[in-house]
Amino acid sequence: MPNTVTVIEPGLSVVQDLGRVGASRVGQMSAGALDQYGASAANTLVGNPVGAALVEVTAFDFSAVTAVDRIIAVTGAVADITIDGLPQEQWEPILWLRGHRLSIRRIRAGLRVYLAIHGDVVSRRLLGSCAPDTVLGFGEQLGAGTTLTIEDDCPVPRHFYFGVPFFRLGADRHPTRPPWEVDVTDGPDIAEFGGTLERLTETCYTVGPASNHIGLRLAPGGAAPVPQRDRRTEVLSRGVPIGAVEVPDGNEILVLHRGRGVTAGYPVLAVVTTTGLSRLGQAAPGDTVQFRRVSVDAAVSAYRAQQHRLDQLRGRVRTVFASLRLPTHFDTVPQPAATPTAQPLFKESA
Amino acid sequence: MSAQLQIVDCGDSAVRVACLDPDRERAWRAVHLLAGVLGRRSDEHITSAIATYDAVLIEFDCAATHHAAVKQLVESADLRSVQTEDIRSARVFTVPVVYGGHQGPDLQLVADQQGLRTDEVIAIHTAHPLVMRCYGSPGGAPMLDGPDFPLPVPRRSSPRPHVEAGAVAVAGRQAVISARPAPGGWAVIGHTPLSLVDVDREPLSVFRPGDAFQFVAVDEQQWDGLAGRGLDA
Repeated sequence: MPNTVTVIEPGLSVVQDLGRVGASRVGQMSAGALDQYGASAANTLVGNPVGAALVEVTAFDFSAVTAVDRIIAVTGAVADITIDGLPQEQWEPILWLRGHRLSIRRIRAGLRVYLAIHGDVVSRRLLGSCAPDTVLGFGEQLGAGTTLTIEDDCPVPRHFYFGVPFFRLGADRHPTRPPWEVDVTDGPDIAEFGGTLERLTETCYTVGPASNHIGLRLAPGGAAPVPQRDRRTEVLSRGVPIGAVEVPDGNEILVLHRGRGVTAGYPVLAVVTTTGLSRLGQAAPGDTVQFRRVSVDAAVSAYRAQQHRLDQLRGRVRTVFASLRLPTHFDTVPQPAATPTAQPLFKESA
Repeated sequence: MSAQLQIVDCGDSAVRVACLDPDRERAWRAVHLLAGVLGRRSDEHITSAIATYDAVLIEFDCAATHHAAVKQLVESADLRSVQTEDIRSARVFTVPVVYGGHQGPDLQLVADQQGLRTDEVIAIHTAHPLVMRCYGSPGGAPMLDGPDFPLPVPRRSSPRPHVEAGAVAVAGRQAVISARPAPGGWAVIGHTPLSLVDVDREPLSVFRPGDAFQFVAVDEQQWDGLAGRGLDA
């Protein structure tokens, strides 16, 4: 039997993963799921490594059928999830039986839904990752009739009670809904903005329509002023962190996300935290964002706490799956984001 | 060496290390050496290092390490070889370019601005190999030292909404070859039919900071025979 999932309504969907982080050293964007937490949780809930390939559905309705029984999990933005018309739980493993139609509809309170499938989605890789890169023209939108092959070894237990949730693993449901609270730390060039960072935090910002995976453009509410540079010196091109907050001309700010160009000559006012970037990955055009200034230590602690809860979830999945004789693959599928093997410019000293 | 390095936090998962050495060549070497040495320390949870002119951004997994540990690695990195010119022999790539006309719409503009004839602009641009200093955006374009024009080249007052991959452009004291299509405000003086970055090739791109690019003028008639080929050293 073909080990496939066939897309019926593609909406705006791609095969995605956590991206190719090390690619920035050869000048390429990191790419990958903008809500890294949502994607990681989805994979964890089905016993996959966090970096396994999964389906990212953005904004529009999606549906598909599977040729074999599967265990899946749907996380990210709030949406109506049904299988052959029956409502399903988000943020828990669910059963998707062969021939049945999975629908993801009415995506709201967020922008991106992650559909993880137990097993390994066969996908083309570039520098170790299947993440689409729009600049390089890598990766494809799924279309009606697109067939995904998922290598799987999972004998799905069929004895379950209709309407009764099969699993109750209690993953943290992040994010919630707008206004999105997004933490930032002071950027490396904050001194160039003469104390105007407060303008970032003392008013809400609205996500503009020209926002995407490269960056989000946000305008302050009530036409309040944005932070301003107090000098106009040319800046040498430098490496740009994911989450960099820049202030281009015009009364808006630019927050660079995972599709950012890796080098640029613009001063960096602030940097969105790693947990904040996952939330921002759910912010849709028109949503409001409330920035909050935190210390680097607080940002690190927040990320570690989130990772710790994912570790705990992984432990619960391992226990529950083992009791059901379902295999988990937390460590077996190669992690993406493999560092490209560019030679160093210089010989290393002995 | 560490006295000349300034390390500053760049969010929860990166630090920026700037080299304050007033000798720009030495600063460039230092930050690229650091990137080469530290960029692959996955054992220390460093995920990437992006070196440009005077700075390197070091990215790491802050769930597994922390800023102080990364700063310690930077400060203890052995940069003595910066002084000893311990650099691998750079490669020189030959890049055929069709100058002027629709392939280089700003050639005349640059000539006028420099007070030169167009053939003199081409002669200066092809006079010697131009050194790649870092990767640029988008798509990892090679950022090169500019040719020896008498004056810096001003940027276009309004950027073009679309510049094709392969565009050969100059601005200020810099030069570039576009890797991927993008908007652009630099003066486009020519186009190369070669393909610099190709997802169907391994590796994705063959050039690295320290390599050099020798431009060579070719006729429009030679375009089709060269189109889509990769770079050759």
